[in-house]
Amino acid sequence: MKIFFTFLFGLFLSLLAWSASAQDKHTVSGYVKDAADGEGLIGVSVYSRESGTGAVTNNYGFYSVTLPAGTYTFVISYVGYQKQNRAVTIADKDVRLDLELAEEGRDLQELVVSTRREDDNVKNIEMSVNKVDIKTIQRIPALLGEVDVIRSIQLLPGVSTVGEGATGFNVRGGSIDQNLVLLDEAPVYNSSHLFGFFSVFNPDAVKDVKLIKGGVPAMYGGRVSSILDVRLKEGNSKKTEINGGIGLIFSRLSYERPLFKGKGSFIIAGRRSYADVLAQPFLTGDLKGSQFYFYDLTAKANLRINEKNTVFLSGYFGRDVFGADFGFNWGNATTSLRWNKVFNNKLFLNTTAFYSNYDYSLDSDLRRKPDNTRDYFRTNAKIVNYSIKPDFTLFLNKNTVTFGGQTLLYDFQPGTATAASAGVVRTFGLRSKFALESSLYVGNEQQVSSRLQLQYGLRYSFYQYLGPGEAFTLGTTEQPGVVSRPVLSTRTYQAGETIQTYGNLEPRFALKYDLTAGSSFKLSYNRLAQYVHLLSNTTASTPLDVWTPSTNNVAPQLADQVAAGYFRNFGGATGNLFEASVEVYYKSLQNQIDYIDRANLVLNRFLEADLLTGKGRAYGAEFYLRKAKGQLNGWVSYTLARTERLVEGVNENRWYPTRFDKTHTLNAVVLFDPIRSKRWNFAATFVLTSGTPATFFNNRFTFQDIAVGTNPDDARNNYRIRPYHRLDLSATLQGRKRPGKRKEDNWVFSVYNVYARRNPFSEYFRANPANIAQTQAIRYSVFATIIPSVTYNFKF
Amino acid sequence: MKEISKLMLIVIALFPLWGLGGCETVIDTSIPTAPVQLAVDAWLTDQPGEQRISLTQTANYFNNARATPALNANVTVGDNTGRLVTFTDPDNDGVYTWKPALRDTARLGVIGRTYGLSIQYGGESYAAVAQMPRIPPIDSLTFTKEKISPVSTTEGYRAQFFANDLPGAVDFYYARFYRNGKLQNRPQDITLAYDGAFRGSANTDGLMFIRPIRRSINPDSLYALADSVRVELRTVTVEGYAFWELLRAQLQNAGLFATPPANVPSNIRNRNANGPTAVGFFLASPVRTRTATVSAPNLRGNGS
Repeated sequence: MKIFFTFLFGLFLSLLAWSASAQDKHTVSGYVKDAADGEGLIGVSVYSRESGTGAVTNNYGFYSVTLPAGTYTFVISYVGYQKQNRAVTIADKDVRLDLELAEEGRDLQELVVSTRREDDNVKNIEMSVNKVDIKTIQRIPALLGEVDVIRSIQLLPGVSTVGEGATGFNVRGGSIDQNLVLLDEAPVYNSSHLFGFFSVFNPDAVKDVKLIKGGVPAMYGGRVSSILDVRLKEGNSKKTEINGGIGLIFSRLSYERPLFKGKGSFIIAGRRSYADVLAQPFLTGDLKGSQFYFYDLTAKANLRINEKNTVFLSGYFGRDVFGADFGFNWGNATTSLRWNKVFNNKLFLNTTAFYSNYDYSLDSDLRRKPDNTRDYFRTNAKIVNYSIKPDFTLFLNKNTVTFGGQTLLYDFQPGTATAASAGVVRTFGLRSKFALESSLYVGNEQQVSSRLQLQYGLRYSFYQYLGPGEAFTLGTTEQPGVVSRPVLSTRTYQAGETIQTYGNLEPRFALKYDLTAGSSFKLSYNRLAQYVHLLSNTTASTPLDVWTPSTNNVAPQLADQVAAGYFRNFGGATGNLFEASVEVYYKSLQNQIDYIDRANLVLNRFLEADLLTGKGRAYGAEFYLRKAKGQLNGWVSYTLARTERLVEGVNENRWYPTRFDKTHTLNAVVLFDPIRSKRWNFAATFVLTSGTPATFFNNRFTFQDIAVGTNPDDARNNYRIRPYHRLDLSATLQGRKRPGKRKEDNWVFSVYNVYARRNPFSEYFRANPANIAQTQAIRYSVFATIIPSVTYNFKF
Repeated sequence: MKEISKLMLIVIALFPLWGLGGCETVIDTSIPTAPVQLAVDAWLTDQPGEQRISLTQTANYFNNARATPALNANVTVGDNTGRLVTFTDPDNDGVYTWKPALRDTARLGVIGRTYGLSIQYGGESYAAVAQMPRIPPIDSLTFTKEKISPVSTTEGYRAQFFANDLPGAVDFYYARFYRNGKLQNRPQDITLAYDGAFRGSANTDGLMFIRPIRRSINPDSLYALADSVRVELRTVTVEGYAFWELLRAQLQNAGLFATPPANVPSNIRNRNANGPTAVGFFLASPVRTRTATVSAPNLRGNGS
């Protein structure tokens, strides 16, 4: 490990030295922003025809190209924006060139998914990556008209879910805790409102969404299956803007405006559900004061101190509260402070410091009624993170080097419970568990030849499970999977002592080879390590699920993934009308957690004794075809996949499919923008998937007049429930724009589950509740009917 | 945690306010039968009178016909003081019984004693052990007039039983209730308590049973005046509690947060480790009951 640090430090110094001695070449660098609102644009291509080289803007809209002296024509292009040509003469010094791009008009408006440049699909080294433009997300027919980032990405190849309404999402056979969900670089531990029906991201405040399923660059780490990188808007730095909307679930309002004469800007966006407000007149008597609402507040401000320094402050706060007497209350809060520093036109530094908190509580007396003061119970738990993370980008001629590190302190508070019975109050709590996760990485993206591009890197993550705390030595049991492992001894650690450490080298590699002008072959490998685990033994994760650290008994999760793909664009004037890709992947997972029967996951001091570990594997093929332009556009994706686990003590120690295994998944998104109509546009989505696996009993017996199911083989997920399919439609009507008025508005009409199919979420066998000596089979559907909705959106 | 799942169901019940809401459909399906096993239903008590042990054969999950009895078994129960009794099945229905002789004072079922069950059946020999744990009395059973639910205007009488957990060790409780002599046996009527509270909720050793447990003995529409209510409290061993928790989980499994069905454990062992296994459970429990009528002397103000 020491060697690695030395190596990294040496590399850092030599790169600095290299970049300082700029030879006789000079650099053109700057920010690219949206002309309308000053938002930094991510992934814009800045390309010089004469030299045949160029650059792409980073996550903050910054680019840098180094060239010999001369005169160049730069072509700046970004789908959905007007292309610009700029002549630049490089004489004897570096050139600062900040650019603004204007959006294309409505007539040419094409909805953009997954590509920035027209030929990005083929030319970008990224594979297994989906970028979804927020404008596209806003067009996809939404459940109850609520535009939703997480539900939208479930229409992409390789992304699935246990069922509609389930929290989170599954990427290439990974479980939901294996996705690193970042909101302006701070992790969000529960991305759902209302148990999973809506996601926490306010579409009015989101600028860019990127999902990385494979070929993960070295700068990311901490989760083994995917990275969902959500970037917030910076706020309009040109003029005041108000956006809002009224839907069936939420009403939304956002306000953005310039700060310090355009040197900065801010946005503040809020949403609140109002079913309770509407229902208020009906909530009388004992139900008066019932609480069932959820809200979120997203805010961000930035200040460009000078050409070289910009700071950003972003925050999210969201909460769900449900209950009359019994109730829940849960929510996330994140704050991130970022500082962009441009050192010398080639070296860019972003430093992020963040705080993230997720907490929940359960209360038998949510309303604190006076007659409950002697009898109640409540529990609460939380996970808190503090982190600092410097990320450097060094733009060299044919290389883009990234390096940096992160240190992340976890404070897991598994919870306290308070119970009062007849006035006697008892509190029972588990102590915090602390852990520190540190990492260092270096990566490079290199144009090896005109056809071959490589991206390679190494990340080293180092994890310490820290005192104060208790560590248990566990024995083995003859019945793994059925009974808890025995606790042989307990040792208490003081603050400052380290209980357990883990270190992992995580190599990353990607390759792109241009086969022809319109096609390429890509290959990637990555290893990822994950030190935190979400414990959930229910079909759908609940907000009360517990995050737990790796300990001396729980090893970190590891994933190795290999993916290969063929990418091709064809058709149209420039050969980029259609984008197609085929990717295959194989992922191997280690130290996957499962549970003994009847595992006690809540407030269990010896929780680790109820956990099982095993391994996983996932493999599949993803086919994707998108029509990028025209009045009829959209995409179709098909995924053929398998995801399995092998855990000692489960399924007689044989491989079994996971609960979210879906053999076939077909998604189609069709967007129709009729040229004849200036005001209407339409969208449709269709989803067809195989049924997910389920475990059923084979036999029964009767105990005390109750039918009891038995599964003598102890088989897990041995049957499939019936397939799922659904069609959704939406139509958007733009309001008439009055000359001289800034107001824009639109109406969105959508219909979810058009043919009202009772899609199964799950099927299960159980005793008939009306006669528990009898058995029956049940199909549970989350939405059993057609769900129409209308939303009104406005902008000033 | 089942209590939390129940709460989730309550919350999900709010969904209709948004026009959502899940939907359960009973479906027709079939499943292959797994090899048949011996099923044991044995729950001894400290009560006077006949004790029964029922032996059957497992059947296909959807076979709701009367189970095939396991006949011609040799069933004996002994305790750690050397007493041994034989259960017999004279009417060949698979229900093996034993009744103490009229003047037999040495009851089967004494708190603190350990009981062993031995079954010879189909050439196999099975055995099980259960201790009869301690139990507190039920101190009282009272009623409060309340609305049957927060959204209803109909009123009924909510029952509440009071008992104090015994201090010093973890006690595992099972409770059930009868309305006008009829056992209430919906899945939600099975009450389990861990030191008088929910498992994992807090350290409630020695406290009065917490209110959700005290009030767990009500039908949905509560009781009517003059109803007779009987509460029955039993204690079981930790293994017995695990069995009942999983059995109840099977019954209450539903909806979004269902758990994968898990086999309930069994404490019936085949003496031949390689022989076929049995299912079911052998429990020995003391029983405490309290009966009250919904009438003026048993009514209380606010129910706390």
